[in-house]
Amino acid sequence: MANTVVKINNLAKRYGELIALDHFSLDIKEGEVFGLLGPNGSGKTTTINCLLSLLAFDKGDIEVFGKEMTPTAYDIKKEIGVIMQNVAVYDELTVSENIDYFCGLYITDKEERRKCVEDAIKFVGLEDFRKFYPKKLSGGLLRRLNIACGIAHKPKLIILDEPTVAVDPQSRNNILEGIQELNKQGATIIYTSHYMEEVEQICTRIAIMDKGRKIAEGTKDELKRMIHNTETVNIEILNVSEDIIREISALPHVYQADHDGEKLTVYCSGGKHNLIRILDVLQKHDMAFGRVYSELPTLNDVFLEITGKALRDKED
Amino acid sequence: MFFHDLKYMLLSGFRVKSFLFWLMLFPILLGTLFKVAFGNVYENDVLFRSIPTAVVETSDNAVFHQVIDSLEEEDEPLLAVEYTDEDNAMQLLKEGKVSGIIYVGDKLSLSVTEQKMDQVILKTFVEQYGVNEKIIKDTAEKDPSKIQAVVDKLSEDVSACNDIPMTHGDPDIYVQYFYNLIAMVAMYGPVTGLHITVQNQANLSALGARKNCSPTPKSVSMLADLAGSYIMQSACMILCVTFTHFVLKIDFGDRLPLVYVAAVLGGILGVSFGFFFGSVNRFSFEAKIGIVMAVSMFSCFLSGLMMGQMKGIIAEHIPWLNKINPATVVADSLFSLNMYSDYSRFISRIITMLIITAVCTAAGIIVTRRKKYADL
Repeated sequence: MANTVVKINNLAKRYGELIALDHFSLDIKEGEVFGLLGPNGSGKTTTINCLLSLLAFDKGDIEVFGKEMTPTAYDIKKEIGVIMQNVAVYDELTVSENIDYFCGLYITDKEERRKCVEDAIKFVGLEDFRKFYPKKLSGGLLRRLNIACGIAHKPKLIILDEPTVAVDPQSRNNILEGIQELNKQGATIIYTSHYMEEVEQICTRIAIMDKGRKIAEGTKDELKRMIHNTETVNIEILNVSEDIIREISALPHVYQADHDGEKLTVYCSGGKHNLIRILDVLQKHDMAFGRVYSELPTLNDVFLEITGKALRDKED
Repeated sequence: MFFHDLKYMLLSGFRVKSFLFWLMLFPILLGTLFKVAFGNVYENDVLFRSIPTAVVETSDNAVFHQVIDSLEEEDEPLLAVEYTDEDNAMQLLKEGKVSGIIYVGDKLSLSVTEQKMDQVILKTFVEQYGVNEKIIKDTAEKDPSKIQAVVDKLSEDVSACNDIPMTHGDPDIYVQYFYNLIAMVAMYGPVTGLHITVQNQANLSALGARKNCSPTPKSVSMLADLAGSYIMQSACMILCVTFTHFVLKIDFGDRLPLVYVAAVLGGILGVSFGFFFGSVNRFSFEAKIGIVMAVSMFSCFLSGLMMGQMKGIIAEHIPWLNKINPATVVADSLFSLNMYSDYSRFISRIITMLIITAVCTAAGIIVTRRKKYADL
């Protein structure tokens, strides 16, 4: 059985009257890509800041690599790489100088550091930008530099706090592939995001957070099995009568059907051939329809079913 | 780790354009402006120089010769006399090489082409000479035995005012402008010091958060950044003094090395003050910058950098404030070099600077090290 890398027990944190973390517990095993998923303000970043001993908390224990995490736990900090939500680099240092500077806070041996810096530059693909100052880099390249500064010292535990915010799709894919590569090289990853697709794509285990609490935890398949919904059928169709909707709702394994004027959405739980049975009803009533598609449940459905609200705000 | 941090602190610090402008270029520009604005006024109106004068003798006058000779024996002679013929004297006057021509005959007469300070002095001299000559001649005719007494009396320096020197130094108001300039550069130091706290505190910057996550102890990181800031600020102070003295030719007398010492210590004090201020409160970065600038400027105001009488007013009503106000201490250390021949006051100010620097640095480090934040 893999060793526990991070153990958080009953963590509680208040900001005045606001409860940011409500007896939050977590176990992260060696070699995992662990996703902390939740909407903005759910407590993901607070958890990370407490874990890094940056933030004081009211109650609970945090252990990393089996030892208590404190601001002066330098032997633990040496093995952690952090990539924060905000880019943290010196504007007056070049790409290679920035990486060398942050790497030097962990590694004193110059030769070893030189090799680490070179590896990090290659890893994030900034070979052609070594002498560039951060202000001359695009947003995506800047994020890559931010990552290189956090991982150059080859840490065993890498914490990425929403590293893809405001990043273009191509750079986002590069970053996600890079994270998977770091995991293959042996690093345990903690990844926070409110983008469920990213978490689904790279995380081996996921904890869903809301209002400072852990509302579900498991692999993505385990999480999806926790909910009622197994399939959502969408049919583009106009003018569906209430009688037809009632008839569809009465079909086996269908537990809900809604029509918004343009699209009929049918939620199914278990069973096979749901789509065929629904289309049979529409044909029986001689209804013309357009595009038809079926969706398997997402983590958003998991979140929606557990909390009664969508995981992401519409503007996200 | 210390030297690694220090190396990059210096590398990044000297690349900050605002730093280069405000701490290196601006004092040079302001110093040059002082020189241009006040230098001519000082040289023309304040600084005394001998008046170049041509003397044309139309008949022998041994007494006049004696008077001129005795004047030339003084440290700063009133007249720089050139005996010549009339044609040459006129030529010199036209070319502006002399301020006037004194014709020596039975009586003295003066020829000038303008009416400025030099010409007024020459006119006064010629008139006074005529009055004195007449008194002596009259005395010789009436009672020759009293001539010596009359000459002695005329030679006395009669003044309604009695000078009582307060110091043994050589006070020079013009140089004071440049001491104030040096003190002003030192008072930019708090902004440099403030950046140290910002870059090392997780609740003030992303850089601070990243550095706090590293295994380099915060105290080491801050000490390295402090050392870097001290070096940078000292370089600015040395540049300011060097430019002022060697380029603008401002005479700091034989105490130039001490001016360097006071300037560098003043700069270090400024950095430490900013570091302390940045550490002890929880304002945002922008608020800290605003407040530290306001505090620095107010400190300068209280020290008299903007209003000369202020230091005296504070000394009269809140004397202890002058002893701890950083700007006053810096300015006063330089001022004491200008004013006093002995070093007791200078040494006292230097010790005060060292104490304030040590207290601010230690307090700043103690307050911020090993800190967890209530919110980020």
